[in-house]
Amino acid sequence: MRVSNLFLAYDKTTILKNINFDIKKHLCILGSNGSGKSTLAKALCGLLPYEGSIQIDNYELSSIPAVQRAKKIAYIPSKMESFEQFTTVEEFVLLGRYPYKASFKNYGKNDKDIVREILVELSIFSIASFRLHELSSGQQQLVLIAQALAQKSNILIFDEPTSNLDPKNTALFVQELKKLRTSFITILITHDIQLAAYFNDPVLFIQDKKASLYENNFFKTEQLSKAYGVNFKENHGFFELDYE
Amino acid sequence: MNKKYLWFTLVTLTLLSPFAGTASLDFNTIFEANSLSQRIFLELRLPRILLAFVVGGTLGLAGLLFQTLFRNSLMTPFTLGVSGGAVLGAGISIKLGLTLIFGLSAVSFFGFLGAFSTVILLIVLSRYLKKAEQESLLLLGIALSFFYTSALMVIFYLSSFTETATIMRFTMGSLSVVGYENLITISIFSALLLTLLYLKRFELQLLSISDEQAALKGVNTKKTTYLFLGVSSLAIGVLVSLTGPIGFIGLIIPHMVRKIYQKPVSTLIFPVFFMGGFFLLACDTLTRFLSTGSEVPIGVVTALIGGPFFIYLIIAKQKS
Repeated sequence: MRVSNLFLAYDKTTILKNINFDIKKHLCILGSNGSGKSTLAKALCGLLPYEGSIQIDNYELSSIPAVQRAKKIAYIPSKMESFEQFTTVEEFVLLGRYPYKASFKNYGKNDKDIVREILVELSIFSIASFRLHELSSGQQQLVLIAQALAQKSNILIFDEPTSNLDPKNTALFVQELKKLRTSFITILITHDIQLAAYFNDPVLFIQDKKASLYENNFFKTEQLSKAYGVNFKENHGFFELDYE
Repeated sequence: MNKKYLWFTLVTLTLLSPFAGTASLDFNTIFEANSLSQRIFLELRLPRILLAFVVGGTLGLAGLLFQTLFRNSLMTPFTLGVSGGAVLGAGISIKLGLTLIFGLSAVSFFGFLGAFSTVILLIVLSRYLKKAEQESLLLLGIALSFFYTSALMVIFYLSSFTETATIMRFTMGSLSVVGYENLITISIFSALLLTLLYLKRFELQLLSISDEQAALKGVNTKKTTYLFLGVSSLAIGVLVSLTGPIGFIGLIIPHMVRKIYQKPVSTLIFPVFFMGGFFLLACDTLTRFLSTGSEVPIGVVTALIGGPFFIYLIIAKQKS
């Protein structure tokens, strides 16, 4: 994925301007609240009009038909929302197969097999017949990942995946993410500096409508403090906010 | 609620339905050609039963569609003022004394215009709402309904006694019918809506999560939503212009079917259609059994059941 001279606007207000980066394997997007991280994520999924260029496999994103786009990029929201609380986990994950389904037809046996494989892979096959409203936040997160994996896309975009998780579920999620990183290109949007530092990927830091790319020198106290405008201190390899 | 008992009750009422009404039907002579019983059966009762069924089914489907698209169980064509728009349109055409427009029945055409412009108005107005303020859309619908009622009052005020009586009777909703003409018209639009919803059931299921999620999976959300709203307002507009507003079916039925079946929307299209059909037919049968001399309008009956149900839904929503 290659982004060059990207401009994003919402209701004629510029949100981000002149963004340039190139994703080889993984990228982490950091920035303060309201800086435009989620807007950028939506644009990278092709949900927003943009100026400039976002290229995937040498195709311009805006020219890729929606169904083809869904086979290339999957997005995992931070929270599950659904009006249909009676949907089961299996039925919900099956929706990830929509881009592969023939128009007007039902999902086929192949789609159902793929979904089961994914549920087994993520160790949530035992809750396949649970309804969405019966799930814990940690399970919801895994189900959202399962649905994204069903799209069989190459790029996974995580939007603040750990913001609703307790420490135990965060740990489980990170284990899962580590496995996924070996076979997918991932973009991780987060406030969790510890998590970002753990993976130590290139960082795109967004502030004042601009983005700066740090290839490998972001996770140092001086750099973090400068970027966020608050003091950080390092404590046994952990970055802590200096409350003093 | 047990699925089997419910269907059994509804089907039994359906079988009794032809025998309900002010003129009694002699079962033995129904099959005799040109007997009075046969004529009552074929020209009054049968078309009425079929009409009640199709109208109920269509109202149920439209309710299911609106609830799913707006992701809120209180959103139906009736509560959002779409039916109200159709009533006003039909009222205007009755007042103007129009009969035909472009070869179509003027009442139907105006009914459709009223429903369609309400949908457009809601889409435009909802742009000014934030996502979190979805309930405000309901308030907009209520505001529109009040506005339409008042506009209809102005029409009453300007009308002669007979015109007022016609419009008044119309606003109460009625399934009284002679012959098959209205039934055929409504069936065509009903079939259109049913087919569209069935073919696009998985798109609807994705839209029930969020527009964003549907778009991420490859659905052309704008086009699909507008197609859904266009066809449903066409069906609602034509239907309301012929039967008057029959409220609350679109509210009760999808909710009931969801509770009983506990399945996602993609599998509920036909159950909702049939349940809506049988339910309205059952209501109609009951009113015909109970009435002596003059009939209680069906719209009044469904509103009497639906009003308390609406309150129950609001309270149940608060609890969850």
